[in-house]
Amino acid sequence: MIAFEHVGKRYGGRFDALAGLDFTVERGEMAFLTGHSGAGKSSLLKLIMLLERPSRGRILVAGHDIGRLHVSQVPYYRRQIGVVFQDHQLLSDRNIFHNVALPLMIQGVTPREQARRVRAALDKVGLLHREKALPVELSGGEQQRVGIARAVVNKPALLLADEPTGNLDPALSADIMRLFEDFNRIGTTVMIASHDLALIAGLHHRTLELADGRLIADKDAR
Amino acid sequence: MSSSRLRTRKPTPEAVESADAAERRARKGARSSRVSVESRYRSWLSHHGAMARDSARRLLVTPIASLLTMLAIAIALTLPAALWLALDSARLLDNELNDSAQLTLYLDTSVSEGRALDLADRLRDEQGIGGVRLITAAEGMEEFAQALDLKRSLSLLDNNPLPASIMITPVDTTPESVHQLATRLESEPGVESARLDLAWLERLRQLGELGQKVTLGLAVLFGLGVLLVVGNTIRLSVESRRQEIEVVTLIGATHAFVRRPFLYSGAWYGLGGGLLACGILALGGSWLAAPVTGLVQSYGGNYVLPSLGLSGGAALLFSSTILGWVGAWFAVGRHLASISPR
Repeated sequence: MIAFEHVGKRYGGRFDALAGLDFTVERGEMAFLTGHSGAGKSSLLKLIMLLERPSRGRILVAGHDIGRLHVSQVPYYRRQIGVVFQDHQLLSDRNIFHNVALPLMIQGVTPREQARRVRAALDKVGLLHREKALPVELSGGEQQRVGIARAVVNKPALLLADEPTGNLDPALSADIMRLFEDFNRIGTTVMIASHDLALIAGLHHRTLELADGRLIADKDAR
Repeated sequence: MSSSRLRTRKPTPEAVESADAAERRARKGARSSRVSVESRYRSWLSHHGAMARDSARRLLVTPIASLLTMLAIAIALTLPAALWLALDSARLLDNELNDSAQLTLYLDTSVSEGRALDLADRLRDEQGIGGVRLITAAEGMEEFAQALDLKRSLSLLDNNPLPASIMITPVDTTPESVHQLATRLESEPGVESARLDLAWLERLRQLGELGQKVTLGLAVLFGLGVLLVVGNTIRLSVESRRQEIEVVTLIGATHAFVRRPFLYSGAWYGLGGGLLACGILALGGSWLAAPVTGLVQSYGGNYVLPSLGLSGGAALLFSSTILGWVGAWFAVGRHLASISPR
């Protein structure tokens, strides 16, 4: 699903945020990306989301060299990827339903179909009863679950998460990870950047460890 | 792992999608893609409607700020529009003056009244001549005496020193053709000279042309002003919605989708500014109407202050709306370029 081939990312001509990355994540796999702050986890995810382009090497997602995508094709590429952010990035001026419906609205899904899929996604994260609430009226854990619902509402083949449990206590974090495992079980490829080693260790999935922009360990815990 | 291996082993999303679609077709008939074209079109339309309403609502949330922006646009539009109106009325005036452009042929004093009449009759049938009026020497003397109240002193003269004259109204009133007509008629036997005073007509025309260019120049400048006003306002609103733009871009919004609400805001600003400009012009017109009418009447003229009218108003609103739209397009475009992947 994801293949990195000798990928490097250099900022400002001198600083190597990522260097010599070579790895593959298979379709339907679930993998964690760990490492200290500044190890390059976020940079790596940004490359997959095409927020940035690699300075060296190439990245294949579902067999396509995403470095060769034209700017006008980038939106359509991103629609195939669900993204969950640490600070969930919900829009504060609209309610939960409309936040989750956003990707469907962008893709031009009819309102009736939108409603059906939004409710299915909210049901999956256990927040169907809060669809009319505004993001501020929700707790941190609930907001993150809305963020996940928005990421999966259009059934993406690939789900990326950048520190999705960074602001949550251990019990809530475990809940969130269980949600990701559920999506992985129905075939979604999941890649989660997290520095919560204790949490990751208990989940028994593949773990890619970064340090100073290099891949220093690739452990399959299954 | 090489890409070819990845490709052979793993199906691409398209492959998955078409398999998915095939399965769905099998289940409930023809439905080729995940989001059908018709559904996309309908939701595109409804998104346009929603964005038009939403951007109007946003303008109404901050009524004073919106009104100030629209006023700035209106003032920038009023000046060139008022100049254009003034120019338009000057053109009307010009036409009227052209209609009164006359050519006077002074005949030799030796030409008899009968010959003068013959000449006038002949000229009447000639091409390029709209009207002919003969003023005999006696009539000329009469008019002259009356105009100057010199009846008594002139009656002392033994014979009439004035020549007969023929007033010609040309059909084509452009300076060149009137000139040509004058030279042609001057060579007629019995015609002493042809007189026409074109210099001031030409001056007026040149003044009109200058006015036209000045108006065009100002319209371009002030149009740019409108672009900047709208652009700056939209830039601020882009700044305040930066997070929203980044989020929707991240989840696959096209540039057109991101631009849409701002384009509608720009168009609303432009339309509002245009409406205000129409209002200012109407107010200014009624304010100036009384003194202008008084002034013109004192010259014995009959002149109505011009107004935009329906088509002029529509043109003003249309161009102001387009200017607002274009200004917004540039403002958002700059921001979009800055968040493209590098």
